[in-house]
Amino acid sequence: MTLLQSVKNLVRSRSIHVCYVDTGSCNGCDIEVLACLAPRYDLEQYGIYVHNNPREADVLLVIGGVTPQWEDKLKMIWDKMPEPKAAVAIGNCAISGCVFNRPQSLTNPPVRKHIPVAAEVPGCPPRPTEIISAILSVRDLIFKDWETKR
Amino acid sequence: MKKTVDVSIPLGPMHPVWKEPCRLKCETIGERVVKAEMELGYMKKGIERIMKGRPWQEVMFLAERVCGICSVIHNMVFIEAMEKMSDIEVPDRAAYLRVVANELDRIASHLIANFSYCYTIEHETLGMYLLNTRETVMDLLEKLTGARVTCSYMVPGGVRFDLLDEDKTDMVIALDKVESEIRRYMQMFDEGPLIALRSVGVGTLTSEQALEGHAVGPTARASGIEYDVRSNHPTYQKLNFHPIVRTGGDNHARIMIRFDEVLQSVSLIKAAITTLPQGLIRGGGVMKKGSIVYAGEAPRGELTYHIKADSFGRIQEIYIQTPSIMNIEACVHYMIPESYSIADVSATYISADPCIACTER
Repeated sequence: MTLLQSVKNLVRSRSIHVCYVDTGSCNGCDIEVLACLAPRYDLEQYGIYVHNNPREADVLLVIGGVTPQWEDKLKMIWDKMPEPKAAVAIGNCAISGCVFNRPQSLTNPPVRKHIPVAAEVPGCPPRPTEIISAILSVRDLIFKDWETKR
Repeated sequence: MKKTVDVSIPLGPMHPVWKEPCRLKCETIGERVVKAEMELGYMKKGIERIMKGRPWQEVMFLAERVCGICSVIHNMVFIEAMEKMSDIEVPDRAAYLRVVANELDRIASHLIANFSYCYTIEHETLGMYLLNTRETVMDLLEKLTGARVTCSYMVPGGVRFDLLDEDKTDMVIALDKVESEIRRYMQMFDEGPLIALRSVGVGTLTSEQALEGHAVGPTARASGIEYDVRSNHPTYQKLNFHPIVRTGGDNHARIMIRFDEVLQSVSLIKAAITTLPQGLIRGGGVMKKGSIVYAGEAPRGELTYHIKADSFGRIQEIYIQTPSIMNIEACVHYMIPESYSIADVSATYISADPCIACTER
């Protein structure tokens, strides 16, 4: 491993910028992501920052079964993110559609059909600790030695 | 030709401070917004279409997922509507426990609304204090119902779990802590000079405009309209509930009335716990066919369910009228043109506490 690579690993392990996009959830997962900001869970102690700007994000948190309005826009947001990047699907809606995956529904789950997903967090809604541990596991899997893995 | 509008500025659908996607188009002269327009439809899932033809056992869980922030009140209104339609009696203890769960949910919802406002006006310290207090309330809700969000606590004829005596004292101690903290944050918000610059006199909604725009809930009560559906609820009447009214009508009044209602909810929960009757928590009954219109007070305002069911308890027709759509109309037509500049638009919009998930369902 070169020196440059080890410096990159060190920097990436302590600086993850997160952007979340709500593609038609019930708001339950939304507020659990917001609750991660609370001093009890304290997202920033792990070096995770919520920015909500896809152009400077490393991890995209996708919430909700994909509604028709979001089918093209989710792909656009994913394309705007710089490499290396990862998407985390949060909640049962993003994994399977949960209660909305029924006849007559307008949603088009799962999210992995639309963009490549690195991790999935089940739960309706998942607890904030589970969301944080998913982001941290993605950090080690995707961002460590990213240049050598390509 | 005379130029009437300089620039039309779109905000959204992905905005750094908005929790949910929607698009707000502002037409501006200089920095002043003269007209605004809301474009919805990013979250339409078709819940009412999924509900039709399904038994109430399934619709109960779907009704909760109309809105995740105020899931307890959706559960409560749907179940109470079905009970009223089928003449099912609820034990007193269960009715009081419903009030406890509902008010805990209201505190959590109001605190996250005020957190969003503080985050929007870049007062992150107060926002983090509020989120920290909210976690205490979520712990109480979890202790009572078993889940933080979408807890399905209420079932026809009663509630699922009982409140244990040892949990009662814990709850009162935690609520005392919440109350003292909220009083401190209220003082911080009320007397902070920088908060006053961003909030007082911004986005004013007069009571005539609130009536014309059909504003409901804290948004209307901050403009001097004394209307709260909880005053018609039998259990709340036993607890001597009276709605709180403020007359400011601006962003400051809308945030302060949420703090006031948090304190009111704390005292309601304490009253309900201390006078909790003994007895069963769950009765029984048979679902009957019929149709009903039933309303309850969600954290954002009046929530109405129009339900028609057949004799097997299957939902034939359902229509949900949620409070946010009325508040968004009032916000877009009256509040945003009253705000001073484009920088105040986000803060004014957040102060009306819009919930797009339950607006579009």
